[in-house]
Amino acid sequence: MENTLQAGVAFNKKMVRLGMITVAFAIVANFVPAIYLWIAYGVWPGVNGVLQVWGIAAAAYGISWVVQPIAYFGVLGASGSYIGWLAGSVGDIRLPSAAMAQKVAKVEQGTHEGDVMATIGTSSSVLVSVGFVTLFTIIGSRVLPYFPQAVLDAFNYILPALFAAVYVEVAKKDIRTGLTGIVVGLLIMYLGTLIGISSAVLTLIIVFSGVVVNRVFYVIDRKKGEE
Amino acid sequence: MDLQEIMNSPGLWIASSIMVIAVVGQAIFFLRASLKEAKLIGLQREQYVAGMRSSLITAIGPSFSPVIVLLSMIAVIGGPTTWMRLCDVGAGRTELAVVSLAAQAVGAEPGTDSFGLEAFTYSIWAMALNNLGWLVVVLITTHKMSGIVDKLYSKYDPKWIKLLMGGTILGLFAYLLSNQIAPGLMEGNLAPIVAAVASGGTMLIISKALAKHQRLQELALGISMIVGMAVAQIAFG
Repeated sequence: MENTLQAGVAFNKKMVRLGMITVAFAIVANFVPAIYLWIAYGVWPGVNGVLQVWGIAAAAYGISWVVQPIAYFGVLGASGSYIGWLAGSVGDIRLPSAAMAQKVAKVEQGTHEGDVMATIGTSSSVLVSVGFVTLFTIIGSRVLPYFPQAVLDAFNYILPALFAAVYVEVAKKDIRTGLTGIVVGLLIMYLGTLIGISSAVLTLIIVFSGVVVNRVFYVIDRKKGEE
Repeated sequence: MDLQEIMNSPGLWIASSIMVIAVVGQAIFFLRASLKEAKLIGLQREQYVAGMRSSLITAIGPSFSPVIVLLSMIAVIGGPTTWMRLCDVGAGRTELAVVSLAAQAVGAEPGTDSFGLEAFTYSIWAMALNNLGWLVVVLITTHKMSGIVDKLYSKYDPKWIKLLMGGTILGLFAYLLSNQIAPGLMEGNLAPIVAAVASGGTMLIISKALAKHQRLQELALGISMIVGMAVAQIAFG
C-alpha cells in the first residue's frame, strides 16, 4: 500500500512535468498560423484588433476558461487535464474513454491503478479522434454523400445516448446516489434555465450537487454504522 | 490573391500542422509513460491492453459525429484551419461561434462574400486567443489542483475524499446528461430522453446481465450509443 502510494506520487510528478512541457509547446503552436499569415501576406489585425478579438473571446468564453478546467479536475486528474484540454472533446470523447479503460481493466477510479488506466484511455482516444478529423478533412466531402440520410440524422442523438450510457456506468456503483444525482441534476437544470442562470454557472452548481448527494449518503451510512 | 487560395495554401497547411503534431505528440508521450507504469505496478498485459482497446472503440462514434460541422467549417475557413481547430481545444460549434463573432467585428458574415481576408485574419486570431484562455488556465492551475487533492487525502478521512471526488464525477455526468435532455423536455421534445433511456438501459443490461462476456464489455459503450441513436431515430425520424 505504502509503495503504491509513493509510486503514485512519482508517476504524478512525471505526468505534471510532461503536461506542462507539452501544453507550453502547444501555446506557441497555437499562434503559428496567425504569425504565418502576418509574415507571408502581411496581414494582422494590429494591436487594437488583437485586443478587440481577445475581448470578444473573453466575453463569450472567459468564464468557461476558468470554470471548466477546475470543475473537471476531479474527474480528469492531472494527466487527463493536460490531454483533455489540449485535444478537446473532454465530455464526449476523453471521459467516456477513460471510464471504459477503467471498467474493462477492472480497476477502481481514485486509485493509482485507476489513474494509470485513465491516462491510457484518454491518450489513446486522442489518436482515434485526430485520425478521424484528419481523414474527414481530406476525404469527407467525397464520402459523406454515400451515407444514408437517416444514419446522419441519427447522429443528432449521439450525445444523450453517450452521456446516458456513461452515467449508468458511473451511477451503478451506488444506485441510491446514482438515481438521486440525476434527479437533482435535472431539477437544477430545469429551474436554472427558467430563471436564466448561465450554463457555466449551472455546470458548477450541478457538479457541486453531486458532491452534496454523496456527502448526504456518506453521513447516513456512517450514522447507521454507529447504531 | 483569392481568399480560398490563401485559406488552403500549402504554407498554411504546414503552419497548422504544428498544433496537430503537438496534440499527437503529447498523446504518444502520455500513452508510452502510462503503459510503462501499468507494467511497473503489476497490471496484467491482457488487462491494460483490453482497457486500451475499449477506449479506442469507444472513441470512434463521438469522433465521427463532428464530420458535418467539419465540412461546413472547411467551406468557411478552409481545410488547414478546420483540421487544426478540430484536433485541438474547442469543439466545432465553439470555433464557428468565435469565427462568427470575430467576423462581425469587421462587419463580415461567414459563408458570404463579405468574409474576406480581413475577416479571416481576425477569425484566426480570435480562435488562437480563445484557445489560449483554456491552455493558460490548465498550465497554471493543474499542478496546484493536484497538490490540493493530495493534501485533502492526507488531512481528511480518505473514504470521504474518495466520495468527494466521486461526487464531482457523478455531478459532472449528471450535468452533461441533463444538459442534453432537459431542454428537449421543456419544449416537449422527447427524442433525446428516449435515446438516453434506450442507451442507458442497454449499458445496464450489458454490464449486469452479460457481465461474463469480457469482449462484450469492451464494446459496451459503442453498442449502447448505437442502440440509443437507432431507437430515437426510428421512433422520431
